[in-house]
Amino acid sequence: MQIGKAKAEIDRLALLDVSIELVTQGVQPFALVGGIEATSPPWDRKLYDILIAIPIAYDLGTALDGFYLALPYKFQNGEHNRINGQVVSVQNRDWKAVSWHYPDGKPFRLEVDNIESHIIHCRGFFLERGAVNART
Amino acid sequence: MPELNLRMAATDWERLRKHCAHSFRGRRDREYGAIGLLGKRCVEGAIRELIVSEIMWPEDGDVLAKPHHALTFSSRYMRRTHMAVRKKGLAGLITFHTHPRADREVSFSFYDDDQDPLLIENLQDLWPGTLLCSVVLGKSSQQGRLWMSPRGQAALASLVIIGNSLRYLPLDGRPPKPAPTPSEIFDRALAVTGSGALAILARRTVAVVGASGTGSLICELLARAGCRRILVIDHDIVKLANLNRILYATKQDVDLRHPKAEVLKRGIESLGLGCEVVPIVGSILDDKVMLRLNDADVVFGCVDKDYPRMLLCKYAFQHLVPYIDVGAEIGGDQEGIVSTDTRMNYVAPGRWCLRCTGLVSARRLAFESLTTAERKRKIALGYSDDLLLKQPAVMDLNMRAASSGMMTLRHLLQPFLLEPLPVTLAENLVTYNLKPIALARSRNDTCDICRVNTQQGFGDCGESIGLSAEVAAALKWEDD
Repeated sequence: MQIGKAKAEIDRLALLDVSIELVTQGVQPFALVGGIEATSPPWDRKLYDILIAIPIAYDLGTALDGFYLALPYKFQNGEHNRINGQVVSVQNRDWKAVSWHYPDGKPFRLEVDNIESHIIHCRGFFLERGAVNART
Repeated sequence: MPELNLRMAATDWERLRKHCAHSFRGRRDREYGAIGLLGKRCVEGAIRELIVSEIMWPEDGDVLAKPHHALTFSSRYMRRTHMAVRKKGLAGLITFHTHPRADREVSFSFYDDDQDPLLIENLQDLWPGTLLCSVVLGKSSQQGRLWMSPRGQAALASLVIIGNSLRYLPLDGRPPKPAPTPSEIFDRALAVTGSGALAILARRTVAVVGASGTGSLICELLARAGCRRILVIDHDIVKLANLNRILYATKQDVDLRHPKAEVLKRGIESLGLGCEVVPIVGSILDDKVMLRLNDADVVFGCVDKDYPRMLLCKYAFQHLVPYIDVGAEIGGDQEGIVSTDTRMNYVAPGRWCLRCTGLVSARRLAFESLTTAERKRKIALGYSDDLLLKQPAVMDLNMRAASSGMMTLRHLLQPFLLEPLPVTLAENLVTYNLKPIALARSRNDTCDICRVNTQQGFGDCGESIGLSAEVAAALKWEDD
């Protein structure tokens, strides 16, 4: 696997007190990130765990896209229409894919983006932007 | 016994010759030299080629003059270079030095014959297994040898210089010999591949990765150009949908589920041109298959996915092997065909990788390098439909891509195209447009593959490039 760079990024973030670890399901690597802050309400809690799929060719220069959210969750006492993907079991927990992509005009940029900036992109989902998206 | 060659980037070779040029001017009374670090390429455990990964140029006081104008490298210089070998996990050292009065032929002196065994003994005392190459340079010739122990040496056959062209210089101390008269079969091609280039091709192995439309045509063109041996790498079997474009594939091959690579062996060898085809049925993503490329002098990439393309780029820089990537694509919309594109990219040290040319996209590479299960979950979310489109493919268009690739190889061996070669040679038949693209549109001056690759020239001493069989299998596509 060519994920030495991903592992180094994750190790660096962990040293900075980010709750993050590299986990796998079979041979598919994921970054498990804890403590993602959410505005509650409408979310049913203040902190969430997410899972980010790391492409096996990450070191060769791949984009990151979307994430999985640990189940269960509640948004406005119901479901969020962007948490609409398949469920995967990793580390004995169920996670559901969230459709939270980069817009065409602002794609993931290899020169500047990495796991850290992707986590920031994912955080947006739990703030006002994500809530607005749920209503539209 | 197969010949033992030395590989080197053209930029290093040109700088070395410039550094040593004073030896062959004026009073011609002083030897010049430098020490480099060695990578290696092995086939079945045996060293096939050595690679000059880097030359550590001498600093003040590193080169000492001895009586009779002989040169000695200082112990500080030797220690610095040897430490670098050990730190980087490389194979050994290579020393270069001149013999100023060797105008035509050059050979090692008695002094060299005395000193080299002592040097390898010292190096191996410090780090067992260290190899030592030594090359002596004359004005227009060079001689090289490899020391594996104080008493075990082997002659080096050729110096392969890779850059905007591909040069083979003899390392036997003599100027290049006139090429043998080629067989009548190749008479009509001599204008573009002269007897010298033909003699090179007739002794080389070329790997063709991908044995579908374009790959099968490349194999045919190589065989008819006089190539001695082709490694054909493809994991797939012949399917009905391939019969419109794979040479030699028949309906019976579909029925009997014959691998594409084996079909090409049957077809190409039946031509009677003396070209041996070695079929390798497996995925190039698999490290064991990737290692088979160590047997090749040049690699053609005829694949339709970005992940193998990027791994082949990485291989090209780590092993200093020329990589020619070719592709064809038909673009269309509801109105009809909007483009029929073919493309050729030549990747080599000093040139751009396919990521910097903009050919490989970060999004596609990410999608292709997810496991099959994760890719399916991604597909279910939507937003990936464009990455799943089956590309239309016709042999007529594949031929144009294959032709560009093969003409590029002929040019590398005997330059005839306008230089420098463009970053991308692109053709759109709809607009009758052949376009040399000089700029790498996604260039990154700190690219860790083509600009600041810390493993350039490491060969097998560098990190493994392919994937374990288990991971490669987990990435399999549904239509594979």
